[in-house]
Amino acid sequence: MTATLRRALLASAISLAATAAAVAQGVVNVVCVTEEWCEALREPFFAKTGIRMEFLNLRSNESLVRIRAEASNPTFDVFYGGTGDPHFVAAKEGLTVPYASPMLSELAPEMVAAVKGAYLPLYANPIALIVNPKVLEQAGAPLPKSWLDLADPKFKGLIGMADPNSSGTAYTVIATLVQIFGEEKAFEFLAALHQNIANYTKSGSGSLQPTGQGELGVAIIFMASALREKEAGLPIEIIVPEEGTGYEISGISLIKNGPNPEGAKAFIDYALSAEAQDLGTSVGSLQIKANVNATPFPGGPKLEEIKVIDYDFEFYGTPEVQQRLIERWTTQIFPVPR
Amino acid sequence: MTDLSFRGTGAMRLAGFTSPVVGWTLFAVACYLALPLARTGRAFLPLDYGLHPVVLGPALHWLVVVAAVAVTLVYGRPASSGPQVRRRADRALLAILVGVAGLGISLFAEAAPFGFGALGAFLGLAIAAGAALSEGNRVRGDAFTGAGIVLCLTFVTLFITYPLLMVLRSAVWVDGTLTLAQFAKTFSSPLFLFVSNRFTDVDEARQVALWAAAGTAAGTAFGLWQTRTTALPRRLVLVALWLVGGAIGGWAVGIMLWGRGALPSTLLVAVIVAPSATLLGFALALLGQRTNSRVVRGCLGVASVLPFITPPFVIGFSMIFLLGRRGLITYDILGISPFANPLYGIVGVSLSQILGLAPVAYLIMRGSLNSLNPALEEAATTLGASRWRVFRDVTWPLVRPGIAASLLLASIESISDFGTPLVLGGDRNFLATEVFLALTGRYSQSEASVYGVVLLLLVLLVFLASRWMLGVRGFATVTGKPASGAFLPLPRGLEWGLLALAGLWLAFILSLYGVIFYGSVVELWGINNTLTLRHYVEFRNTAWPVVWYTIQLSVASAIPAMMLGGLIAYLVTRHRFWGRSYLEMGSLLSFATPGTVMGLAYILAFNDGTLLMTSTSAIIVLALVFRNMPVAIRASMSGLAQIDRSLEEASATLKAGSGTTMVRVLAPLLIYPLLAGLIFAFVSAMTAVSQIIFLVSAGRNVATVLLLSRVERGDLGVAAAMASVLIVLLLALIVVLLIASRYLDARNRGKGLSI
Repeated sequence: MTATLRRALLASAISLAATAAAVAQGVVNVVCVTEEWCEALREPFFAKTGIRMEFLNLRSNESLVRIRAEASNPTFDVFYGGTGDPHFVAAKEGLTVPYASPMLSELAPEMVAAVKGAYLPLYANPIALIVNPKVLEQAGAPLPKSWLDLADPKFKGLIGMADPNSSGTAYTVIATLVQIFGEEKAFEFLAALHQNIANYTKSGSGSLQPTGQGELGVAIIFMASALREKEAGLPIEIIVPEEGTGYEISGISLIKNGPNPEGAKAFIDYALSAEAQDLGTSVGSLQIKANVNATPFPGGPKLEEIKVIDYDFEFYGTPEVQQRLIERWTTQIFPVPR
Repeated sequence: MTDLSFRGTGAMRLAGFTSPVVGWTLFAVACYLALPLARTGRAFLPLDYGLHPVVLGPALHWLVVVAAVAVTLVYGRPASSGPQVRRRADRALLAILVGVAGLGISLFAEAAPFGFGALGAFLGLAIAAGAALSEGNRVRGDAFTGAGIVLCLTFVTLFITYPLLMVLRSAVWVDGTLTLAQFAKTFSSPLFLFVSNRFTDVDEARQVALWAAAGTAAGTAFGLWQTRTTALPRRLVLVALWLVGGAIGGWAVGIMLWGRGALPSTLLVAVIVAPSATLLGFALALLGQRTNSRVVRGCLGVASVLPFITPPFVIGFSMIFLLGRRGLITYDILGISPFANPLYGIVGVSLSQILGLAPVAYLIMRGSLNSLNPALEEAATTLGASRWRVFRDVTWPLVRPGIAASLLLASIESISDFGTPLVLGGDRNFLATEVFLALTGRYSQSEASVYGVVLLLLVLLVFLASRWMLGVRGFATVTGKPASGAFLPLPRGLEWGLLALAGLWLAFILSLYGVIFYGSVVELWGINNTLTLRHYVEFRNTAWPVVWYTIQLSVASAIPAMMLGGLIAYLVTRHRFWGRSYLEMGSLLSFATPGTVMGLAYILAFNDGTLLMTSTSAIIVLALVFRNMPVAIRASMSGLAQIDRSLEEASATLKAGSGTTMVRVLAPLLIYPLLAGLIFAFVSAMTAVSQIIFLVSAGRNVATVLLLSRVERGDLGVAAAMASVLIVLLLALIVVLLIASRYLDARNRGKGLSI
């Protein structure tokens, strides 16, 4: 009887021991939103510095939740990639600390200015209209040229966008519209747009694949992922609205009290180099890179060529402003039957 | 001496140094002295002897040694009578408690992460305490039972209750003050419940009020009728209860029909899914048990586990390809206009969940049907009962526990599922996704906790309802007397009907999986149909190490989950002890809690101090063990409910301890439920996302989290390849286990392999 119990206990003790983990010294731990990019950086970074880089792939907001939950005893050194807002929030809450990287001089000055020292810019990514021309043709809808075109009832049931209650992308769209048209006119447009929306998706780029597969005609999302899918063969076109568009600036942050601050700084310096930024392009991260010496993706957008608005990241990144705009959308736009 | 019960004789036999109390106390001291007490960092290995108790010097933890000496001294004196045995055990228990307290206080005061020394000492002392409780007759049962009770209670408290309390704390304890503000804020949010929509012509609030009124009236009328023979004061109370119940029920139906938001959507889907999945599972199990065709049985066995071994969002995606706006079936074959496609929302989520949960119901119903004794049906037929009568009066009452278990599991799974609504939910919100989205989209830990609390309350209600259903009648059918005879075949018409249903179901499932496999061998799903193996090459290069690591973790978690589940089911059904309902509820709580909340709970509970375990594989294994154990519990319980106690009494009379009885008598009879528990635990571990998405750490990613990120990035080819490999691997494993179970099922021995 006790022999059985003893055997059972022994077995579970062994399984505990077997799964026990060892943390080596020369390791820098990264919370990484852009998985393939980090995978591509690992080997060259080790070859250069002799520091091993381990990373965990999480979505940007999950990363923030994770870093916040571990604040008393962080396991990660660097927060890499993803939308800018979590980096802003992390800096504001003191979860990350400013780091004056020697690479700052190589970064695009307008991006550095826009993030106001809260974090280091990694790349910029504009919002765009992704269309499937075949679907639009079948449905008798024209190719949209501007934001206001999308209010046309011909687009009914053809447009996909994310729900701002769950997606930063959708909030960026709303904030962009408010900055272009002013709040009242922007919400009038959102109400008209609502009538044409097929579904609000939970994730920001949730309407990209359906557009490629022909379920939808238009997706309102960030441009870079669409650019990559277009390269991969999806029958889509990318349109920047005439009125101009908003964008995000992704970043890299140094986590406060991480286990390996020196390794973290070395990694950040490396990640901001032209070489590391080009590695991103090579694995399909086709955003506009922050390092001015990085090679732009042929056919990809250039910040000076597309009409981007002067996006106020600090004001529209404030939680109170965010909350008010999202609440207004949730109570005044979302419940209207369509 | 002669009038001592057999339990008393057991204690006498174990008197002195042979008692497990002494043995396990010495084990505890051996661990304490041989291994370091604490760890320097997170890592369990290598051992750091700088933290050995001798190096650490004098402190309270030395009480472990004092306790061991005391126990040995107490047991050094022979005890010849019942009261003496009892006094001796009580003294030992006191000494053990002092040892545990010393160990605990010194570790927690230092906030030192526990090491193997502390772990071994603690486990040894816990088992010794259990044995002492049983010898002292404080717990009815032998040392195995006592130790089992103490260990299970400790585990459930440490790994389920305590982490959840940490979440509750974060919900009501904001910036150092106790507040319910977050509850008020969430309940008034349109994302939670939205009834009065001023943009519609209908007055929804009025409709809901009408439903509530109708429910109240119906509840009161039913209460009056139900209690027509009850005396007045008691009758008033009962009728009032029915009135309140009716009002709540009517209101719930009202918001399901007219309201929007996470609460009504979740309720509506659960109300659709649980009965449908159970019915489908029951129909298939009936066909599987009684048909004469080996082919049908084989197909059912294999196909029924297919949806079960796939991450829910994968089914969701292939459903979009089949039934979506441009789906193969809906658009190309049936020609439904893309704008009229109802897939996104309640319809899609329900359909996907029914497909995903019918196999769970099938496994439970199959186990339940297999425990029936065919002789009962034969006897009823011989006595002249019609087929319908046999089903209604013999078969149905005996499968009721299985039905209740299946309804319970299906509704809980449906309520806490987050993968399916994420993919197919459309504009609808669901409670489980809101937990996730509140955490990751709105950064609000306290809002997520509030949704978690609502989910827990819902699950509690479901649990009470199933308990009420189970509690009405229970029957023992496995009596140890030989069960012989064959089951009545199904009526021809019914068999054909069931066959048609099964065929339809099979065809749909096969096409769902065909789509996934097809997607893995073409260049670009739905666009470029050139055949290629490139996705598999990429899978081999990048994803295979992660899959292999996940397999190791799943094995390490499934076996303890099954053993612990079987043990808890045995303790809960066969013994009365203090904390019994707590044990049952606590383990259910872990299953019912939405995975993301449990994941966050583990981070909050185990990120620092003595219990530091984050960023190790151990925490993932523990999360999976306690998450998946409840299915083994429920399945074993519904099996145990049908096994007559005379078998265990016979075993006890032959002087077998309860541990031996469990392993040699009960386990062989419970092979189906236990196997169902094992399969479920392994497969759930392989396909788990929500509960470990917060626990994976750098270099320790798991397959499904990787798969989800591939799907989200639009890497559908590699995702499909990964899903195909996972499905084939798991399917092969399950087929092997199912074949093994035929050889192991005690009731098939000597009958040939008749299943």
